[in-house]
Amino acid sequence: MRNPVATCILGALTAAFVLAPAVGCIEVPREGKRPVLANHVEDWRDEVIYQVIVDRFANGDVNNDYNVRPGALARYQGGDWRGMQDHLDYLQELGVTTLWISPVVRNVETDADVDSYHGYWQQDLTEVNPHFGDLPALRSLAAALHDRGMKIVLDIVTNHMGQVFFYDMNLNGHPDIYIGGTGQPNAGAGTDPTSPVVRATEYDPDFDIRGVQASTSLGIAGRAPMIFFNDATINRVPPKPAIFATREAYHGLGRILNYDIEQQTELGDFPGGLKDVATENPAVRTAMIDAFARWVEEVDFDGFRIDTVKHVEHDFWKVFTAGVRDRVYAQGKNNFFMFGEAFDGRDQLLGSYTQKGELDSVFYFSQKFQVFRDVFQMAHDPTQQKGTDQIANLWKDRAVNYGTEAQDKGIHVPPYKALVNFMDNHDVSRFLFDAQGDKDALRNAMTLLTTEEGIPCLYYGTEQELAGGNDPANREVLWNTGFATGNDTFRHFAKLTRLRKAYLALRRGDTTVRFSTTHVGTEDDAGVFAFERAGGDAADRYALVVVNSNARKASTSANADGAMKVGAAPGTTFVDVLDPQQARYQVGTDGSLSVTVPAQRALILVPEGQVQAL
Amino acid sequence: MRCRRSRPLAAVSAFAASVAPVGLFALLALVVFLPARAFAQAEAAPAEPASALAEHTPATLAPPPATQATAVVAKDPTAADASPTPSVAVREGRPAQAENTGRFEFGSYGRISVASDLRGGTGRPADIVAYGARVDEASYSEFELRREDTFGDNIKTRIVTTLALFPEFFHFTGNATDHIGVRNLYVQASYKDLTMWAGSRMYRGDDIYLLNWWPLDNQNTMGAGAMYKLGADTVIAGHAGMQRLENDSQFQQIPAVAPYGFGTVPVTTLDRPRTIETLKITHFVRNSENRHVFASDKAGFKVSLYGEAHQIAAGVRKETNPDVERALPSDTGYLVGAQLGYWTGERDTYVSLFLRHASGLAAYDPLATPTTYANDQSTHGTTENLIALSGNWEKEWFGVMAAAYVRFFRDGSPAPTSREKYDEGIVIARPQIYIGEHWGVGIEGSYQQRRYALINQDQDANLTASLLRGAILPYFSPTGRGSFKRPQIGLVYAVTSRNSGARSLYAAEDVFSQRKTEHFMGVLAEWWFNFSSYP
Repeated sequence: MRNPVATCILGALTAAFVLAPAVGCIEVPREGKRPVLANHVEDWRDEVIYQVIVDRFANGDVNNDYNVRPGALARYQGGDWRGMQDHLDYLQELGVTTLWISPVVRNVETDADVDSYHGYWQQDLTEVNPHFGDLPALRSLAAALHDRGMKIVLDIVTNHMGQVFFYDMNLNGHPDIYIGGTGQPNAGAGTDPTSPVVRATEYDPDFDIRGVQASTSLGIAGRAPMIFFNDATINRVPPKPAIFATREAYHGLGRILNYDIEQQTELGDFPGGLKDVATENPAVRTAMIDAFARWVEEVDFDGFRIDTVKHVEHDFWKVFTAGVRDRVYAQGKNNFFMFGEAFDGRDQLLGSYTQKGELDSVFYFSQKFQVFRDVFQMAHDPTQQKGTDQIANLWKDRAVNYGTEAQDKGIHVPPYKALVNFMDNHDVSRFLFDAQGDKDALRNAMTLLTTEEGIPCLYYGTEQELAGGNDPANREVLWNTGFATGNDTFRHFAKLTRLRKAYLALRRGDTTVRFSTTHVGTEDDAGVFAFERAGGDAADRYALVVVNSNARKASTSANADGAMKVGAAPGTTFVDVLDPQQARYQVGTDGSLSVTVPAQRALILVPEGQVQAL
Repeated sequence: MRCRRSRPLAAVSAFAASVAPVGLFALLALVVFLPARAFAQAEAAPAEPASALAEHTPATLAPPPATQATAVVAKDPTAADASPTPSVAVREGRPAQAENTGRFEFGSYGRISVASDLRGGTGRPADIVAYGARVDEASYSEFELRREDTFGDNIKTRIVTTLALFPEFFHFTGNATDHIGVRNLYVQASYKDLTMWAGSRMYRGDDIYLLNWWPLDNQNTMGAGAMYKLGADTVIAGHAGMQRLENDSQFQQIPAVAPYGFGTVPVTTLDRPRTIETLKITHFVRNSENRHVFASDKAGFKVSLYGEAHQIAAGVRKETNPDVERALPSDTGYLVGAQLGYWTGERDTYVSLFLRHASGLAAYDPLATPTTYANDQSTHGTTENLIALSGNWEKEWFGVMAAAYVRFFRDGSPAPTSREKYDEGIVIARPQIYIGEHWGVGIEGSYQQRRYALINQDQDANLTASLLRGAILPYFSPTGRGSFKRPQIGLVYAVTSRNSGARSLYAAEDVFSQRKTEHFMGVLAEWWFNFSSYP
């Protein structure tokens, strides 16, 4: 080694080795690390929400395509958070400002050959679902959205967990689907009083207020033990946090049979064996608050969309919303939005969840049925279509039913002005399916969606004219469309969102219905509906929207009582900003305005002096 | 930003994959061509000393395990053991018919250990880097049967069969279905300075004993190769081979309705072997009559340059849905590397540096299937860079082996975070004290770390797994003192301290996810003799 050549060689070797680490030390990108929480929202009414089933939007990373079955819509398809981040330009071009993403937590993988691609079969509230990426990928998506001035809303479920345990009704220690009974009618766990036998499934047995009962050939034998699965191959293992792996965290009463019975809807398991959580248990409430507030802290979410709120007692919502608000408010989230899903057409029931101390808002399901279905989707069938007076009648009760007082530490907007408007979603067939492919009806409904009071929410793929029927056919793979931006529906919605952004009145103005009709046939005014957005938080800004829902003829905003009266001053000149030609209309000296709107078209009229360049 | 293969790259890739068989045949043609050139040279020039090739065999010049290598070379059919006596045919004036002087040889490599974790369980490996310390690794053995023949002065052949036994073994499990693998099954033939081979073969360069690792070249393919000596100090070796592993990306067989009669017949619908070509040039620097570089004539220095090319053709895999197929793109990769080695020629003392860069498919060992991909299902964008250092020094009653490496692996996945994006490395040293001629005690210390492009939620930082290990290895060495003397029979005790990152790599139900300290105490035996390749 004393040889100079050898010394040089050794020196070179050592130097090379010592310097090697400088070649490149790996780092998780900054946007993948824990964020500093901040409020990113000025007024939620300015937002346009876009609902995404993550598995179906875009596949940005093939490495999380575990067990995907391309083309089988009940199975995973491969979409992920990175895919969404890759297509933010598409979303911005469409004009959406807030992404509502499907649940992010880890799920039971599959059940009865159907997968948890939707995310509602939660098993571990503390971990991400690896099908969609890792935590840095989720944080990165949120950060990318915030960088663009966009927001992100997380879908959460407090009502139930996935199918994490079975009821051992025959006490044999493993889950069965079997035929049982005592030979005596109605002596088993069945609901048919005349049958001496029952078909029982220990995965998803019928509701029983006593608790799901064990039974033998001699009769019932007390409550069936609830036994947690431990099947790691499909991640059907005891849930987390730990309290959800205890029997005390569940009601254990079996599957809801009758949705009209409040006791069943609140205490029963959700169909599919989704185990109903004992949300009245204080420890469960604390765990829920902690689990979901933690996601806000980990990712910087701007709001919660909350699943199945009508299956949880009101008292829970008071505690949960207060707990979450207190925690995130203290960290700078002073405009955190919580809106719930109660799949129900009863307006008063929906409004019960936005009363003082509960949610900021709910999905306007009653409008989905009474307006978007009855007035717009049924335009192809005058025997089914309803008059636009149904819209006016629904809207007039908003303040009463939903409340006029904003929630403490909430979004600073009263619930009746912040309802989440939607035409369809992942739980119902798509608009075009029920409308039998009537794209004019779709685009006309979009106009109402984006100009009415509240917060518009578009279900992914509507802009691509997807037309699937009920679940899972309505959960198509979006990337098969190529993310085209040239079709009429995409362009129409994009224009509407530009208008909404440009005109404060369309976002924050109060609503006054100026014209509606019971007519749906050949009458002059058949299908016309007109409403003003003005005043309120829009100050002197003004817009008048006139829609014709009639699919067969042009209709006019006038009836036997005369032309529509508007709130603008007599002589005001309106410009139709939806019209590429920007047609002009003038208010009569008596304050009336008679406009004729082509079939399934609309006008968005603003005073000439308020027209904005888009 | 997603890492997508550009169209030109895809075209190149597709072309490369399509011409892979051509490349393979070209290399085989080289194998055919070189003998012809060798024949011409043999007629035109006097033969090199017959021992030259043997001395320049890489195994010889890679001291660890030098004892083993030396033993092999002594029996290399290319070595100078040909009979000086003219053949009978020559004496009788008949046309030259080579006289066969052949023999069977048996060689073996093996290590076997059994250990306790001192908690009532079996001692188990705790390494977290790709090439960790071998002190706690599993048992393994190889048994090699060779036929070696010499035909006249210039032609020699070797037929090699090596069977390997993989754990667990019968006496441990009670299960007699031990796992056996064919590690070598090839024919090698030499004519003067040219050696050719064909078959299934382990094809390797120098290793780092402490890590049980061949950091530059380690091929396990079915194919063919050739080695040719250029002058006295340079050797060029090439090889081409293929593998078609039974994994989802290379092979699929589906049942089809039998064309006659009833039932089904299996139909192979996906069949895309990986083809690999390698080329290695090694140049030696030693003292000679005209050159005095080193203080000792036993010392030497060598430089090896090495390259690989990998290709795989496009294919189609049928999904579970019968009407859905997944296109698998063609893929390519390359690897370049170098080794610098210096040895004193005394007591197996040496030091070696390895540098390697791999890209695409070549970043994955051919026996390892990529687990992550670019979005086009290729390995495009994958890179591996490594630097490794190893050495051994012995003097009188003391010796020390040491090694270290750093390795930077980046998969082609589009996500910036991935379990296949990481930096890793290890530093390890095993000083030994020789007690008399046949006894010794080794003390081994090592530190290894892997830093992932994954988030450690508790620390809001990269997930960094590391472990610190100390071991003591008292042993008996029947063949004498030295780090590379075998066989050895001894005891082993290793204690490993594992950080939270290392523990987090295991499932919650695994005790390795909970225990900070692991013990490994047992017996360890290792041997090698008369073996034609490293284990």
